[in-house]
Amino acid sequence: MYQYSPEDSNFLVERVDQFEKQLKRHLAGDLDDAKFKSLRLRNGLYMELHAHMLRVAIPYGTLSSTQLRSLASVADKYDRGFGHFTTRQNIQFNWIELPEIANLLRELSDAGLHAIQTSGKATRNITADPLSGLTEGEIEDARPYCELIRRWFNLHPEFSWLPGKFKIAINGAKLDETALRIHDLGLRLVRNNQGQLGFSVFVGGGLGAAAMIAAETASFVEVEDILSYLESTMRIYNLKGRRDHQKKLRIKFLVRELGADEFSRLVNEDWQQTKNDPNLKLNLVELEQLKKDFALPIKSLNLESFEEKVDFNYSIWKKNNVRRHKIDGFSIVNISLTKLGAAPGDATSEQMRILADLAEKYSASELRTTKRQTIVFPYVRKDQVYDLWQSLEKYGLASPHQGTLAQIVACPGRDYCDLAKAVSIPIATRVQERFNDMKRLLDIGDLNINISGCENSCAHHHVADIGLLGMQKNGEEYYQITLAGETLHETVIGKKLGPSVSGKIIVDAVETIVNVYLKNRLDQERFTDVFKRIGIAPFKEKVYE
Amino acid sequence: MSEILQIESILNKDYESVDLVSFQEWFENVNKLSKLSVGIIVGPSDDVSLIKDQLDCIELIVLDFNNFDDGRGYSQAYLLSKRWKFPGEIIGINAHLDQLQFMIRSGVTSYVLLDSYLGLDEKDYANGFSICYQEAANNSGLQKKY
Repeated sequence: MYQYSPEDSNFLVERVDQFEKQLKRHLAGDLDDAKFKSLRLRNGLYMELHAHMLRVAIPYGTLSSTQLRSLASVADKYDRGFGHFTTRQNIQFNWIELPEIANLLRELSDAGLHAIQTSGKATRNITADPLSGLTEGEIEDARPYCELIRRWFNLHPEFSWLPGKFKIAINGAKLDETALRIHDLGLRLVRNNQGQLGFSVFVGGGLGAAAMIAAETASFVEVEDILSYLESTMRIYNLKGRRDHQKKLRIKFLVRELGADEFSRLVNEDWQQTKNDPNLKLNLVELEQLKKDFALPIKSLNLESFEEKVDFNYSIWKKNNVRRHKIDGFSIVNISLTKLGAAPGDATSEQMRILADLAEKYSASELRTTKRQTIVFPYVRKDQVYDLWQSLEKYGLASPHQGTLAQIVACPGRDYCDLAKAVSIPIATRVQERFNDMKRLLDIGDLNINISGCENSCAHHHVADIGLLGMQKNGEEYYQITLAGETLHETVIGKKLGPSVSGKIIVDAVETIVNVYLKNRLDQERFTDVFKRIGIAPFKEKVYE
Repeated sequence: MSEILQIESILNKDYESVDLVSFQEWFENVNKLSKLSVGIIVGPSDDVSLIKDQLDCIELIVLDFNNFDDGRGYSQAYLLSKRWKFPGEIIGINAHLDQLQFMIRSGVTSYVLLDSYLGLDEKDYANGFSICYQEAANNSGLQKKY
């Protein structure tokens, strides 16, 4: 598994040392709140409703068991024994004391972890398909590219003070598990007619109050030229992006105002000046080394004599949580952390240590995190899946919810977040309670419900089958419903159903929507396909009758 | 055009006083000013591409970094220094201690810190790291890892 070099580790220490000096100046009154805010955010530190929150990067969603133990230790020592896995392959700690932050970051750096640029107006953690390298038909494992691009924009002198945050996702697989077209910039690995590898580039996606799908600005950029192309994109954004209006800072507003064609033209014009600069070419030698570092640590196994166990609960869990691996003899296991009443994505330090132990025993010491806030074991021998399930069952981690309606994505909501207008977690709990029958869940199948507590859309409600957006009306919590959003096969922003619905009856509305879907479903039709066929009217009619 | 601070001159690296004009003044009187060895004060919203063909006539360029969160000055410095190879000094004024590393690597050749940072150790911030991960206008003293 890829690990940072001694120079990289030293860089992390230098970054902590620098931030510690800034913190001391702030605490001594020599660095004002506004500037310190700008600096602390670039080190992943937020001031939330009750305490400081630290967001730690899990680059491209890949973690070693050692790193997960380090996160568990941080949860115990500096938080209240919890961590929260986010929708963008980060983990957050919600109860951090400001004076302890430098020691915490030093502990993380010992494990090759950091919080650099997990927030602030700079390039954020770069996300990848959590199944990178594992599935058939993939063009290439995106993670070596993620790592090279992450490094390049790490404290980039020109692009560390952009108009707004800048999120990048890279996908190398057939299906888009990264939701790249709702990112500020999405890269899709592609091959051209000559078989050369390169990227299609999409710019200007994002959710929030004005949800937009990124426009394609280049259909093919050669691998070697991607850094100069990205620099030109960011330069146009840095110089021309809106800085005068707090709600129009993201690159999507610039792309919309200029038009995608004009934006692409400006980027191209700039790029022609740098495209041939040898110093801006992606380092292909380093790329080859990274491909070796990220190579799968398994070889195909002949398990012809292996017989699968017959067990009803196991088979339900397996149906929902285990996926086919491209290497013979192995499976991909998805572990849901969902528990009634707990925030989706929350894990206790004890759970983290159990998962670290199990990953060592069953998954070559490696784990992945997903945008559905689950944990993936990428290398489980087929003849050990049952043993793993038994261990998960023993520790209460064998929830068979993956791929069902009960695997809800929710932000922390008004219970924890300063920005939220309404609660999210209690709504998720009520929906799970309403749909607590496994037979019914299996009948409904894979249906996504995402709940955001405000327009910042941290739970990506726009791209769920059923999206709920919390808001306030006359002091009461209401939820706006959007239907049939998706990112996996194509990127579609969900359609608003109608007037927002009171929190008191929102679960009834969700159930009504599910019932309309089931009544109209033909064979195994997905929710989005039913919606395309019958339109919004039948859903509207039933919810507002 | 920019909303610029009213300074009229600045010391160059040889401690000589150089008269300064605003970006707007330069264009209003370019024929006269281009013969007078003056410097130009460029604000964050000024389009530096407008002076790229006149750089030989400009003594020095002053970039304003007063607004902590406005990063346009870094791209301006990069374009002037690296792309258009401005031969004169690029001076960052109203500089913030915590941003010196970004300014210098983007192509700023010298800087004037805001008074509020007097007494703090600039070296700590101007040279905060031992390595760099990307090509830049100025990577001197840094081990390159890219």
